[in-house]
Amino acid sequence: MAASIELRGVEKEYRRDEFVVPVLSGLDLTVAEGEYLALMGPSGSGKTTLLNLVAGLDVATRGQVLVHGQDLGRLSESEITRWRANNVGFIFQTYNLIPVLTAAENVELPLLLTSLSRKRRKENVATALRVVGLQGRESHYPRQLSGGQEQRVAIARAIVTDPYLLVADEPTGDLDRNTADEILELLEQLNREFQKTIVMVTHDPLAARRAGRVLHLDKGRLVDDVINESSVSAAS
Amino acid sequence: MKYLTYILRNARRNPVRTGLTVASIAISMFLMMILTSFFAAMTEAQSASKDFNRIIVMNANGFAGQVPIARVRQVEAMDGVVAATPFSWYGGKYQNQRVLFAQFAVDADKVFDTLDEYKLPPDQLAAFKAEKSGAVIGPKLAREYNLKVGDPMPLQGDIYPVDLKLNIRGIYESPRNTDQRMVLFHFDYLDDQLRQLGSSSGGSTTQPSSAAGNAGIIFVKCKDAASTATLCKKIDDEYRSTDFPTRTQTEEAFGQMFSEMMGGLKDIVYWIGCAVVVSLLFVSGNAMAMAMRERTTEVAVLKAIGYDKKLVLGIVLAEAVLVAGLGGAVGALGSKALFDVVDISPFTGGFLPFFYVPWSVALTGLGVSLFLGFASGVVPAVIAANSSVINGLRKVV
Repeated sequence: MAASIELRGVEKEYRRDEFVVPVLSGLDLTVAEGEYLALMGPSGSGKTTLLNLVAGLDVATRGQVLVHGQDLGRLSESEITRWRANNVGFIFQTYNLIPVLTAAENVELPLLLTSLSRKRRKENVATALRVVGLQGRESHYPRQLSGGQEQRVAIARAIVTDPYLLVADEPTGDLDRNTADEILELLEQLNREFQKTIVMVTHDPLAARRAGRVLHLDKGRLVDDVINESSVSAAS
Repeated sequence: MKYLTYILRNARRNPVRTGLTVASIAISMFLMMILTSFFAAMTEAQSASKDFNRIIVMNANGFAGQVPIARVRQVEAMDGVVAATPFSWYGGKYQNQRVLFAQFAVDADKVFDTLDEYKLPPDQLAAFKAEKSGAVIGPKLAREYNLKVGDPMPLQGDIYPVDLKLNIRGIYESPRNTDQRMVLFHFDYLDDQLRQLGSSSGGSTTQPSSAAGNAGIIFVKCKDAASTATLCKKIDDEYRSTDFPTRTQTEEAFGQMFSEMMGGLKDIVYWIGCAVVVSLLFVSGNAMAMAMRERTTEVAVLKAIGYDKKLVLGIVLAEAVLVAGLGGAVGALGSKALFDVVDISPFTGGFLPFFYVPWSVALTGLGVSLFLGFASGVVPAVIAANSSVINGLRKVV
């Protein structure tokens, strides 16, 4: 299986006034295409920073981050913004939907950046909402939806441009157990049926158990790398 | 256009704040339109008067000085003159109210040849000319006092010691930027009354009024534009060494003379306008800054999913321009529409014979509002465009 994500000697430091705070140290990692990866670790372990690097939201201080062979560190700000639009779908813990837009309009947001016609955009939005099981809710505003439904809209927004990489930050962190299971089921489905590479940060062991592979970070270092035999990811 | 829905929804996100911002801009623009239109409409009317090739003869010492009535015929006989009429301000009371509209003693035979943009039906004109106590009035005045042809219109003397018992013989039509509330009546009728003061009555003899025989000013219709300058000089030269030297100027210059009488008022209005624009800049800038502060995470999400700096900048600016533009449209275009329909001249005690908001002023007001929106949105837009995605998301992806 080809590598989807490759990290070579990645280090990340933040400057806080005169202090340099190391967050990731000498990280080497390969994620296969279609793999479903869970990142776990205590707060401050660097899992979110790792996710930011992989998603092209942040730049490594040293080392290389290659996603589908593209060295993200070599891209300019506008290039990496365009790269994110084409290749990455984002799923946030608090959904981060635009409250003044309907579900369909929220999902359409990334498509506005493309040259697709209005008709094609509508078709793609309808498809994405159908995949997440929200047909019939197109005209609902976020406030008219439950937390689980909001997260489904967020997932529809993440997949509507058909990116090959989905990054999720504690996607079930704000949901009750049953709803969380439904969302995790949906992510599994996206990985299994649509071969999306998924990188998910979670504190929830039950959520991590759904992933094909679980990485544990601590103090910016990879301390454990477990293949989850019970889970069947698209990479396997 | 793809982003219009998002921009419109954002503008409506906080209806109270948006409403107050729109209202503050609209009200300020509305007031600015009134102030600036006062001068602009006068200037527009002055400019338009150029087309009529008229000059005005007045006493060199100003309105207080006299212009003998005999001068009207002398001037009319000059080469290049089409028609001339005295224009003598009566300033009487009507229904015991003082100076609510202009009342002029004119030459009934010549006034509509001189003021040729004023139109009177031929039968009414004939009736006006035929009756010494006949008068014609403006359409606004007729509507305001519910007057019609045939109605009596008694005026009580205020400046002059004579009352006039006028009968309305016509209602003229004239362009919007002219006085549509005038009363025009025979100069001879007023002059006769003034002269009669000198005749015997009830056993006593009074002196004729010194105002008798005074044309006030003379409106002169010239053959063409070229002859106006020549005639101004010729008339003034003619009477330079008389007891009543004249000052003759074009109608446009005459109008400007009135504007100049207001001294620095125009400058004051200009500076008030600048102050209003600056204060509005702060109002709308503050509203946009508040709006963007509330949307830090949203902006970060947009940037995360691929909206670049320029696009974020454009969306925020468009929203600011939309809100300010809406305020400008309501204030500037609203005032235009309102004063096109509502005539405020009756409420100005005759100070404003006509008032409207010229298109040039309304569109300038709208343009200023759009500029305000742009200027007030620049700082929040630049901040949003340059904001960090990671910081914006706080709990980052």
